[in-house]
Amino acid sequence: MAASARTMSKRHRRGWAIVGEQELRDLWLGGRGLLLALAFSVLVSVIAYLTATNQALNFLEQRESVNLTLQVAIAMGSLLALLAAADAVSGERERSTLESLLLTPVSRLDLTGGKLVAALSLWLAAFVITIPYVWFLGRGIDLVADAVITGVVVGTLLAVFLASLGIVISIFANSNRVSLSVSLFLLLAIFAPTQLPSSAQKGWAGELLLRVNPLTAGEHYAGKILVNGHSWSEDISWLISPIVAAAVFSAIAAIVGARCIRLGRGATE
Amino acid sequence: MSMCRAFGATLAVPSVALVLAAAGAGATASEISVNVDRSQIRTQLGHTFVFRTTVANHASSTTGSLIAHLNVLSLREGVEVDPEDWSTHRTRYIGTIPAGGSRTITWKVHAINTGRIALYVAVLPQAGLTRPPTTGRTVQLVVAERNTLNSGGILPLVLGIPSLLGLIAGGLQLARRRR
Repeated sequence: MAASARTMSKRHRRGWAIVGEQELRDLWLGGRGLLLALAFSVLVSVIAYLTATNQALNFLEQRESVNLTLQVAIAMGSLLALLAAADAVSGERERSTLESLLLTPVSRLDLTGGKLVAALSLWLAAFVITIPYVWFLGRGIDLVADAVITGVVVGTLLAVFLASLGIVISIFANSNRVSLSVSLFLLLAIFAPTQLPSSAQKGWAGELLLRVNPLTAGEHYAGKILVNGHSWSEDISWLISPIVAAAVFSAIAAIVGARCIRLGRGATE
Repeated sequence: MSMCRAFGATLAVPSVALVLAAAGAGATASEISVNVDRSQIRTQLGHTFVFRTTVANHASSTTGSLIAHLNVLSLREGVEVDPEDWSTHRTRYIGTIPAGGSRTITWKVHAINTGRIALYVAVLPQAGLTRPPTTGRTVQLVVAERNTLNSGGILPLVLGIPSLLGLIAGGLQLARRRR
């Protein structure tokens, strides 16, 4: 029984690894990933240049400039993962390549896992691109290591959450356009609390909203460590919603991916 | 001193009191004072500093509810100062102060502009708004320029990374076409 389970596990690992490798090849050697990475690097360059030169923006402290750059990188890196994931199934369906993909001898769970890995590679690339900027802005104040570790933890949780959400939407969407539109709409809804005036973020309702929203909670945690110099454990409760969101949505993506990927539109055929 | 309740931190009441006007029910003119613990502060751009004011009731009766408000302005013409940037918590509702009692308020301020800046705290009653507010002594603030960022050295980085990625993307595109 154990041997059989091990064989099954190996087969599953091989399956998602094969799908993941193929997806990574398509994404990066096909040029789409590099173009997105290029656009991302231009954005981070502009932000880093502004924070480094324009004191009128009130980014007066190195800590604040590192925090701002890292938060933009986390948000945009997660967005890239979401966009790639939102194209995962509905895009294949629209390009009429889903049928051949479903005929390959890998389970649908493996397909979902491989596509999730490919989507997350965009976040990983975005983060690697961000490191030199963070190093430049944070050098001399012993903040680079903290920024990198915080960025990896918070960014990966948010990227897993958003990429899983994107895959679920993509499985059920009737078309790629619908999938991308719904994903972007949800992303904007998740970002909306960051635009609230500071007075609206106070009080129990405001704090609850910030804590429940994985994006605001994650960025709050990063800010507390980088700007306020808090310890890792001091505000750890703010990581609850990013952890829960990443775990729950990746589980949902696995279940939905294993059971609901269909050739026809709307996961009904 | 047992009646003295601190907001953030407690400080001994300074010796010099600025007594200007009355505030609230029960207190008459010259019975409320606003004392500032510092008259001059020197700091640098971007730094945060703290000063304290003590609102004291010298009357024999309890005051009405009081509000303390921090104001920030530039002493140099042409320099726009947005007080919201300097302190996010500029209005404090300090409630009533019993006869002979005092309240100490801690103000945390972020230096946003360089130059000569004035800070003052006004205390006014929540009721009886026809009376003028009581203000404390002006805190003179001198904010010096400070460069924390090496902006010159960032240009190679912000141009280099996108260029490198562009070159890789272009090279890949070219290789694909040749194939």
